[in-house]
Amino acid sequence: MALLEVNDLKTYFQTDDGIVKAVDGVSFSVEKGKTLGIVGESGSGKSVTCLTIMGLNAKKNTITSGNALFNGEDLLTAGSRRLREIRGDDIAMIFQDPMTSMNPVHSIGTQLVEAVQLHRDVSKRAARNRALELLKAVGIPRAERRFDDYPHQFSGGMRQRAMIAMALVNDPDLLIADEPTTALDVTTQAQIMALMRSLQDDFGSAIIVITHDLGVVAETADDVLVMYAAKVAEHGPVRKLFNRPHHPYTWGLLGSLPRLDADVDRLVQIPGQPPSLLRPPPGCRFHPRCPYVMDKCKTEVPPLVGISDDPDHLQACHLDEATKDREATKLLETTMAHTG
Amino acid sequence: MAEDLLVVEDVKKHFPVTRGIIFQKQVGAVKAVDGVSFSVKSGETLGIVGESGCGKSTLARCIMRLLDVTDGTITFDGRDITRLSRPNMRPIRREMMMIFQDPYASLNPRKRVGQIVGEALEVHKLGTATETRRRVQELLEVVGLNPEHYNRFPHEFSGGQRQRIGVARALAINPKLIVCDEPVSALDVSVQAQILNLLEDLQQDFGLTYVFIAHDLNVVRHISDRVLVMYLGKIVELAPKLDLYETPKHPYTGALLSAVPIADPDRGRARQPVVLEGDVPSPLNPPAACNFHPRCPRFQEGHCDVEEPPLYPFGNGHVAACHYPLERWPLGPEEFRTPGAAGPPAEPSTVS
Repeated sequence: MALLEVNDLKTYFQTDDGIVKAVDGVSFSVEKGKTLGIVGESGSGKSVTCLTIMGLNAKKNTITSGNALFNGEDLLTAGSRRLREIRGDDIAMIFQDPMTSMNPVHSIGTQLVEAVQLHRDVSKRAARNRALELLKAVGIPRAERRFDDYPHQFSGGMRQRAMIAMALVNDPDLLIADEPTTALDVTTQAQIMALMRSLQDDFGSAIIVITHDLGVVAETADDVLVMYAAKVAEHGPVRKLFNRPHHPYTWGLLGSLPRLDADVDRLVQIPGQPPSLLRPPPGCRFHPRCPYVMDKCKTEVPPLVGISDDPDHLQACHLDEATKDREATKLLETTMAHTG
Repeated sequence: MAEDLLVVEDVKKHFPVTRGIIFQKQVGAVKAVDGVSFSVKSGETLGIVGESGCGKSTLARCIMRLLDVTDGTITFDGRDITRLSRPNMRPIRREMMMIFQDPYASLNPRKRVGQIVGEALEVHKLGTATETRRRVQELLEVVGLNPEHYNRFPHEFSGGQRQRIGVARALAINPKLIVCDEPVSALDVSVQAQILNLLEDLQQDFGLTYVFIAHDLNVVRHISDRVLVMYLGKIVELAPKLDLYETPKHPYTGALLSAVPIADPDRGRARQPVVLEGDVPSPLNPPAACNFHPRCPRFQEGHCDVEEPPLYPFGNGHVAACHYPLERWPLGPEEFRTPGAAGPPAEPSTVS
């Protein structure tokens, strides 16, 4: 059984202008010790998916359906007391912006100790030792002396590391990282990525990484979920998805990426902008921006189905497979050609 | 060969740190930019990369004369603009424009798009109201916006569209030089591609010169002709694009390049990043001599922390400030740590 299994998750927000379908029928599962990468543009529903799983959406004006089974227990119907027990203990989250997601008036150490004592019946001294141990593990130099520092005394990279320490302090089974490295420089990003990888090796946690950086996904994820306008466009094992992408949106994302390893004269651009989730286009939601659009796409919603010779690799597009294979090969040739 | 449009010579920008309320006494200086020299040819794109806090943005603001430099000279189009007075600076401001990082913060929310884009035309008294209006609508079309959006407010646009407004504003008075300070950092990859393509098209159509600042090495590689790497207010390496990305000489450049994730699962996982220890030191009290030495995997005691490396030339306009440059690229982590016998070229470069 998978550690987390999400089935047909829907999150709708009621607003003055109508219902915003922020997540509209998303299913995936994460196994123990594996990493799932969720990619997509801003507003595609990546973060809302994870906030819904964690039960962090405001109750008011939110309609949720589907289920999210964590070790067989449905998180969507769990009571708030039970959710508080799970959050920070079995499931932990790393937020994007460490500047705004830490409490500025409590020291880093206090915040870590609080996280331990909320879930473990231990003495303050034991909690402090545990917190220190984690701060050292994430590579905070002179952790004893920095323990009583406040968040503003830490640099961006250190703050992000402290966030990771806080998330890991109770050895979570599942770690959800929402854009963990987006606000950081490449050198710090490399440190954080190496850290997350080694922690996964040590503790065997499952990780969900939300990001828009395809490079990060390619290097850390085992499975990748590509989201577009609240729906899943493509979902499959990382190598298959990068070596044989089967959705025009994924091609667009890969083609629009400037590369360190290849010279591209002109980036492929996806024309237009993501649609409003208040009134998404009928049929395939990508059709107004898709260069391969057919009449069928404008009326019929493409189902998320496996590729005929590869049932693990799911995609939602009406194009025939021969065309998709041809286009995917062409794309890979143009982006990889110069590296041999 | 095209002539130099912008020449920056030994520019320094130090921000004083004072103590005391009435009797202020200078107790130190943040050396945000500390002796930077380079030139940009007409029609060229110079990329500037570095981590946050390395002085990229301060340098951009010095070039634009939004900040007065502490020392050094800036020559624009053959004219020394370093200490020009405001009235004398005004005609020169028509020739250089800037695009800012945050499209949400750099557009006045209470002005309409037409006013924002047309403001420079008004300030420089170029044409009547009708002419301005026509010109603005033309510009909106050039950057791929609907000219009918003339009367809208910035909040009605998405991030990518706002950045297009920023580009239209920079183009309004036909500048020669555009300084782009992280113009695509806040955007999604697909929108980023749209803006990068737009900037390239505009460069071709109007013969623009760009100074392009970013921390994303992929983006800089895509758009630049030459790339300058900064660390703690100093140039560590400057080279034509391919030379820099394929044969980096400075260990810092090497570490940066090795840290960039590759969007290919097989090659990405095979890459061996050189992980730098620690954070960028404070520019208030930078390390002695080579200021990269406390984090450098090739650090040699008694040399790197005593003698400041000059910019050694490596041919083809490639210079790097390191006593123990990388022999080849890519290097495994072990080789990276042990500098070979071959030192830098004997002749230190003068200002290039």
